[in-house]
Amino acid sequence: MKRAARPAPLALRPLAWCAAAFVAGVALHVTRIPLWASAAAAACAAWTLLAQRSRRWMPGRSARLLLAFAGTLGVLTLYHTLNGLSAGTALLVVMGSVKLLEARTRRDCFIVVGTALVLLLAACLQEQALPVAALYALHAWLCCAALAIAAHPRIAQTTRGSVLLAGQSLALALPLAVLLFLLFPRLSGSLWGLPHPRLAATGLGESMSPGSISELIESHEPAFRVWFEGVPPPPAQRYWRGPVLHHFDGFTWSRRPRPLLAPEPRLPLGPGYHYRMLLEASARPWWYALDVVDAAPEGRRVVLTYDQQLVGMEPVSETLSFRASSHPLTRALGALPQAERSEDTVLPRERNPRAAALAAQLRRKTRTDREFVSAVLEWLRTGGFTYSLTPPRLQLDAVDDFLFRTRTGFCGHYASAFVSLMRSGGIPAHVVTGYLGGEWNALGGYLLVRQNAAHAWAEVWLAGEGWTRVDPTAVVAPERLQKGIDELLPGALSETDRLLRLAWLAPLEQAWDAANAWWATRVLEFDSSTQQALLQRLGLERFGLTAFGWAIGGVLGLWLAILAWRIGTLPHPPAMDRLARSYRRLCARLARAGVPRASHAGPLDYAAQIAAARPDLAPELGPLLSRYAHLRYGADAADCAVREFERAAARVRITRSARGQNAPSRSRATRESRES
Amino acid sequence: MAAWVRRRQGPDALPLRLHRRRIYILPTRSGLGFSALLLVMLLAGLNYQNSLALLLVFLLTGFVLVVLQQCHRNLLDVRLTDADCRPAFAGERGALALLLTNPSPMARYALELELPGKSRVGTDLAADSSARAELAVATGARGVLRLDRLKLSSTYPFGLFRAWAWVHAPFELLVYPRPNGVRPLPELPGESSGLARRRASPHDEDEWCGLRPLRAGDSPRQVAWKAYARGAPLMVKEYAASAARRRWLDFSQLAGLDTERRLEQLARWVLEADARGEAYALVLPDRQLDAGRGLRHRSRALAVLALHGLPGEPPA
Repeated sequence: MKRAARPAPLALRPLAWCAAAFVAGVALHVTRIPLWASAAAAACAAWTLLAQRSRRWMPGRSARLLLAFAGTLGVLTLYHTLNGLSAGTALLVVMGSVKLLEARTRRDCFIVVGTALVLLLAACLQEQALPVAALYALHAWLCCAALAIAAHPRIAQTTRGSVLLAGQSLALALPLAVLLFLLFPRLSGSLWGLPHPRLAATGLGESMSPGSISELIESHEPAFRVWFEGVPPPPAQRYWRGPVLHHFDGFTWSRRPRPLLAPEPRLPLGPGYHYRMLLEASARPWWYALDVVDAAPEGRRVVLTYDQQLVGMEPVSETLSFRASSHPLTRALGALPQAERSEDTVLPRERNPRAAALAAQLRRKTRTDREFVSAVLEWLRTGGFTYSLTPPRLQLDAVDDFLFRTRTGFCGHYASAFVSLMRSGGIPAHVVTGYLGGEWNALGGYLLVRQNAAHAWAEVWLAGEGWTRVDPTAVVAPERLQKGIDELLPGALSETDRLLRLAWLAPLEQAWDAANAWWATRVLEFDSSTQQALLQRLGLERFGLTAFGWAIGGVLGLWLAILAWRIGTLPHPPAMDRLARSYRRLCARLARAGVPRASHAGPLDYAAQIAAARPDLAPELGPLLSRYAHLRYGADAADCAVREFERAAARVRITRSARGQNAPSRSRATRESRES
Repeated sequence: MAAWVRRRQGPDALPLRLHRRRIYILPTRSGLGFSALLLVMLLAGLNYQNSLALLLVFLLTGFVLVVLQQCHRNLLDVRLTDADCRPAFAGERGALALLLTNPSPMARYALELELPGKSRVGTDLAADSSARAELAVATGARGVLRLDRLKLSSTYPFGLFRAWAWVHAPFELLVYPRPNGVRPLPELPGESSGLARRRASPHDEDEWCGLRPLRAGDSPRQVAWKAYARGAPLMVKEYAASAARRRWLDFSQLAGLDTERRLEQLARWVLEADARGEAYALVLPDRQLDAGRGLRHRSRALAVLALHGLPGEPPA
């Protein structure tokens, strides 16, 4: 077309809006991309806008190419690739900045806004929490407003009108978006291989040293949420099983990668619990479950190990949900396999000699394994131990040092020492790490388990019963079973967390967490399997893909028809100018004060009416209303005069009733209104 | 395509309303680009199985569909109330003036009027209002310039779609011959001696016929101001130019020129005579225009010249 050959030069306003959309898109990534890239984007935007008036300050073609090249090189040196989400985002920021420098036409503006939208998409792929999702919505709005302003910069519509229109369009698009979200067929796998985003690993690790768990206690982050079908288990049974640690070097317990043995069958005792877990991303393969889980969820990439832990085949890199059932009380059906027995009775040689001596001494006093367990627990209970988050540092023979010197410790210390004593006494035992407890969220009806609920306990093999959970921490600090760690050890909380825990904030925090949980389960977790379930519930699943098409097409058409019919007939109030707005506000105030304006009355009639009804108001309002009449109906009113009227109208004091002012002021008022 | 639209719609007459059946809509190049972008974003979202990304893509998809509606309704029910063609001399720019009306309480923005291949102009229409838009038209040869395809379009509000409508009304722009030529005006019968008298008024020796009401195009010099001062309505004094006081602009006087040159010379004479305020008559081989003066007469004379030798009825 002819116009493309000779593009109209761009005004400042559309350029500024597009630059704003782009810079906001960059800002969504500011924590993930290198600082120089964000700075370059901001600088390019500022440069474009400041130099927009005189083109000679803009960089030429070769300078732009050089900038693009330098930026690409920078990305390449940093990420060693241009592929992938992070490197791609950084590259997009660089290219968008350079494009902004050469933005001349409407088309360029569209490209800049398109870049901003792709940045928004990349942000969606990177982070999906509820608060940032709200930011994303605002950014989408900004992009659409920029699109409107760039498309038609010279029309009579105001900037405010364009921004409102963009918001209105997006709001009207929302039902369509929800529909497509629910019905658009999802893939059950990926089209092409995806690199796993590199997350910092959080939560429990492969090993446990004295003090490693107390680092977690400082974190207020959620670890997972649990929805129970029916009643949740009592607090004393809320043990969430994580990594099971078998190997001990005298200081650190660690998990051993083992061949995938099948778990031994167990006989469930007592009630079982069915529940749905929603795990937060942790970059670790642990799928936490209520101790002891019955079986691995079917059809998921997870296995149940021989020591009853659910271990995923990949690390949990984004929120993940699964269903499971557990029985807190079980009994072994068979004997302990020899391999396991020998693994769980080994202790490092020549380490912790005093603990070994203690175990031997206690073992001599007792006959059965069970009595020995009780004797050890009793010894811990009466030994003057204290429960503390900040115990003194331990030496290499950590168990000895803890049992006989510091006597101050945290769950990890007790579990470690207890299992060590058990093994010295010849009882198979291991340390189980995981979480204990959780906060009940009444609003969402779920249990929230935070990182600070991290816990370690012991399991011992008792003949005839099998693996039995023993929590030595519960002996030293029995209230730990009932209370959260925050209540138990207020010193564990940071200042912000302590603020958050204030009583009146607690309901707010719960509501906020419930909203986050809803967002995570209902929106972020919606995938092809939940979609199938939804269709099943709607009775649509047997119609297959064609039904999807028809359903989508049908409802889209319906919604568009509604829009066409409603929008066309919807009366848009004509945009009022400032003067009219100010006048209307004044009239509304007067109406509240008991002098409503008749709809046929002009400003001067109204002044007369006020003078008659409320002479006390007339001295101020008479001149004001006549000024309005001048501005409205006289020759064109200067902007400053309108503004002055606005100020005066806002300042005027309107009392509810006359305060004993009568005859003299009345005569003056009528005179003034006549003059006007 | 154009022929199909014309067949489908049939000829139009003003005033007309842009109803649904006349409005076409397609994505613009930006709109296609935006859709391509959405497709790429959709693939990314599906591949990452990322619900939030998909939600964004679906929101923008919904947005595009809503924009489709908005673009369509920006044109819907706009009325083309009146049109007027301003004649021009050949080679100059004529104009098609259009009166657009927006009867709805919703403002219409960024309407574009286009005579395909000739000119385009943009306008906004406030709620419940009318606006005039003028399309300049370059003219070529004298005669009648038919402007039979007018396009009303808009890419409002986001430039992703263009809605348009065709109007096939018979707009005819008269193109006068270009005033040209070097020959002097034919002499008045009384001037043959070369003793042209200076006269205060051209009416001195015309016969006074009477008064008639003022019409558009009358010269203020002809208005009966005295009668008006007495309280009568504005009237115009009418004179019948006496046979002796009119110029005869005769086609046959211009021997040695071809037809077009002769018409150009006649057009020039018409303008000169009109500028002097004189009465003149036009004589063409197949047509004669009686003597007269004033703007109306001038227009008629120029129209006769414009249409000389062309098929079709000359305008009244």
